Amino acid sequence: MSDKLRPIIEVKNFYGYYGEKAGLKDVSFNFASKKITAIIGPSGCGKSTLLRSINRMNDEIPGYHTEGDILYEGKNVYDSDVDLTIMRKKVGMVFQKPTPFPMSIYDNIAFGPRIHGLRNKNKLEEIVENSLKQASLWDEVKDELHKSAYSLSGGQQQRLCIARALAVDPEVILLDEPTSALDPIATQNIEVLLEELSENYTIIIVTHNLAQAVRISDYMLFMYRGELIESGETSMIVKQPENKLTEQYLNGKIG
Amino acid sequence: MKKDTVISYIFRIVSYFIFAIVMLIFILTIGSGIGYFSWDFFTQAPSNGMTAGGILPAILGSLAVLVLSLVFAIPVGMFTGIYLAEYGGRTVIAQLLMTAITSLAGVPSVVFGLFGLSLFCITFGFRTSLLAGSLTLSIMTLPVIASTVNEALKAIPRTVRESAYALGAKKTEVIFKVLIPYAKSRILTAILIGGGRVIGETAPILLTGAIFFSTTLPTSVMDPVMTLPSHIYYISMAYGENAQWMAKGASAFLMIFVLVIYAIAFRIRRKMNER
Repeated sequence: MSDKLRPIIEVKNFYGYYGEKAGLKDVSFNFASKKITAIIGPSGCGKSTLLRSINRMNDEIPGYHTEGDILYEGKNVYDSDVDLTIMRKKVGMVFQKPTPFPMSIYDNIAFGPRIHGLRNKNKLEEIVENSLKQASLWDEVKDELHKSAYSLSGGQQQRLCIARALAVDPEVILLDEPTSALDPIATQNIEVLLEELSENYTIIIVTHNLAQAVRISDYMLFMYRGELIESGETSMIVKQPENKLTEQYLNGKIG
Repeated sequence: MKKDTVISYIFRIVSYFIFAIVMLIFILTIGSGIGYFSWDFFTQAPSNGMTAGGILPAILGSLAVLVLSLVFAIPVGMFTGIYLAEYGGRTVIAQLLMTAITSLAGVPSVVFGLFGLSLFCITFGFRTSLLAGSLTLSIMTLPVIASTVNEALKAIPRTVRESAYALGAKKTEVIFKVLIPYAKSRILTAILIGGGRVIGETAPILLTGAIFFSTTLPTSVMDPVMTLPSHIYYISMAYGENAQWMAKGASAFLMIFVLVIYAIAFRIRRKMNER
């Protein structure tokens, strides 16, 4: 198997519970490396829960517990010997609303490398520049790196957050509805950016926007009430959904 | 007249009334004292039985009390607030602490004074001193700082802290490098407002730290101090007509001082709201 096709993340018979309530029921899926995979479905279907279970972000939610495995490069992320700090360095995340930290643009990007121990100034500058370039933000901010990150527009802030995630050299980037707070032009910029990034990174995106999922994703998961209903290549699912629920969702009858 | 109109008139009259009272306090205090401001008033110690000289020792004393009590209150208050917001959760200890802080905020200041007198002055043997007074006042300010830090941290959007965790940050890094800077303005505002209270508090400092009159400035934290509020109190209670000007001048200065602190605090708050 070539590197491009080997699954980087394997979800196996995974259940996620909020207290007694099951948010995810028996989900199994292999995420392909260096592809864009979209997770779609109506509100409350468990798509964010699945995404947030991959980097164990849901651990922070009181009462959340899981069954089953999620393997990252063959290693179960729920094993007790997993170092969350290192795992999250490899599996980055971008949220619905831009979340710049209260510091300069430069320090936002340098935050990750610094907490992982990098002190070398030249190296940091290089990382900041490369990350901003990869996030297509460099040309807009190169002369104001020391301005507050809050001075940027919403779309720029979101690209800053993507650059910040890239700065720690991840392999996977999880995005939780990254464009739902942005205007159409900023959304388009992010979509173009994600397609570029999928050359080098595995991208998993949760989105409410079906058209967006169709535009950018290689693979698609359709979820409904905590269950994975249908998954596969996006073009195939859109053309010929096998499940009736998927078809109804694609036609806007549920959602 | 319509009902709405009547009600809007009532609201307007009530607000004007409150505004008038506040203005009256400012005008009377500052107006009746500002005339005594002079170079000597700020650079001299009182002399001739409080009928001449100035209030320098009281100003310096108040500043010393302010600084020292904040030195105690800021770290303890911050750590309490951080504990409540980030570590305590719904544990019994955190609940108890929260109740304690809320109750502390409602304790009358004279009770703090008596508490300080018995604990710091007598039990710890600090006697009437700058140290005992500052510690007493810092305990009064503690709940303000702790609860503000707690609320400010809890008000930070969840995704901001998650973004830091998602980069692999450890809990202490998230707290001190992201959350505290995020809540900085609110915390600073609370400290300033707490400071404004400290400098104006009279009863606790009278009981624990203030001396009636001293010709020398304190040389260590174990010496008693003159402060603005206690000075005003002593003069008005124990001196004759020809010393009252000094109380008026000191009141005006104290008022202006506190107003300036509050103005800075509100300015910071406004800037923060713009963000």
